[in-house]
Amino acid sequence: MTLAIILVLAAVFALILILCVALLPGTQLSRNGHRAGQIQPLDVKAFRNLADRSEAEYLRLRLTASEFRQVQRARLRALAAYVHVASRNADMLIHAGQTALTSSDPHTAAAARELVDSALLLRRNATVALLRIYVALAWPSAGLAVTPILEGYQRLSGSAMLLGRLQDPGSPVRISAQ
Amino acid sequence: MLQAHSWLWHYLWVAPNIVLLGLGLAIWKRRLWRQFPAFFAYALLGALSELAVYTTDVVPSISAETFWRAIWTSLLIEGPLKFFLVGEILSHTFGVYASLKRLASILIRVLGVVLVLAAAVAAAYPPNDSRFGIISGAHRLEQTIYLVETGLLLFIFLFSAYFKLRLSREIFGIALGLSISACVHLGSWAFIANGIPSERTRSLLDFLNMAVYQVCVLIWCYYLLARPRSVDVSPPPPNQNFPHSDLGDWNREVERLMHS
Repeated sequence: MTLAIILVLAAVFALILILCVALLPGTQLSRNGHRAGQIQPLDVKAFRNLADRSEAEYLRLRLTASEFRQVQRARLRALAAYVHVASRNADMLIHAGQTALTSSDPHTAAAARELVDSALLLRRNATVALLRIYVALAWPSAGLAVTPILEGYQRLSGSAMLLGRLQDPGSPVRISAQ
Repeated sequence: MLQAHSWLWHYLWVAPNIVLLGLGLAIWKRRLWRQFPAFFAYALLGALSELAVYTTDVVPSISAETFWRAIWTSLLIEGPLKFFLVGEILSHTFGVYASLKRLASILIRVLGVVLVLAAAVAAAYPPNDSRFGIISGAHRLEQTIYLVETGLLLFIFLFSAYFKLRLSREIFGIALGLSISACVHLGSWAFIANGIPSERTRSLLDFLNMAVYQVCVLIWCYYLLARPRSVDVSPPPPNQNFPHSDLGDWNREVERLMHS
């Protein structure tokens, strides 16, 4: 009887979760709806400084161990905020790309598929990078690799630009700030 | 009315399978079977096997043992078909994106192994709910199939939600109907296999399963046959699709960083 109760509760829980996900707006692919306007440009220079290993090494040599940990934690928190923004931008571009997937123009559809692929890769890498950042927050002296994020963002930029131009030639795309 | 062999019982057992058979034929006529071969096979073979089981139940000359053998045969046909169908949903949802295909494939394999082990433990755990092995075995097999199916479908919904992936209309409908059916059937078969319910409760659970299955068949019909409402297919107005500017500077900057 105990097993019956456990399985019945598991089934009810699974049903509720599935219905919640299914009823979320945007679970189904449709041709309307654009949220790409909410994209937040990223400051690439600041991002690069924060991710730079040589900057961290320089700080390690110049500061005492406790000061370095304090500063490095602040840098990691800022880096996490950037990765969050990059991940959120990827979400927006997945949405925009999936909307464009239904386009009757094969070039637009192909560009949309490439954009969605790049955005998914970035979102996946961002998840891993965030995990690493949170681990590094506990041990600030450990190294941190964010190269996949930068690579993903670079690919995403190219794809977003191509799709943006195909959909609206007069309006290039920007997902980064100067 | 809520008793075995009442008119409602006959209706709920036969009608969804006739409709599902009709849906299979409509899929064939519209050539959708090329896109959804597993669902096409499930619609035809699943409906036919259920109607065969129904026939063995209502024909008086057929023995109870033959009826349970028919149930076993039906389960052995429907079980693999459902997993092919889950595979089809998975492939339509993640298979088209190279960046997620491998990750989804690895995760689903690991989850599949975990679910099969959990289902095997659950099937080995309960005492026989019947004096006859053929009956309790069928109940455990139902529970096993629905446990694995529910876990896989839940993973597909959660994984696609995490990556903000939207499912195509048809795949969404197929996955939604299959998930509702799997969850409700898991709950009721787990109770029947392990809870040893009274005849009355057992009968009510049968009605629940059949009624939910009817709803799921209608969901499949709606998403596969009904045309979606007309939507705005015109391109978005300038400057609302993406914000302005150039990505060239960003790309150059990142390239410099990566190669420094």
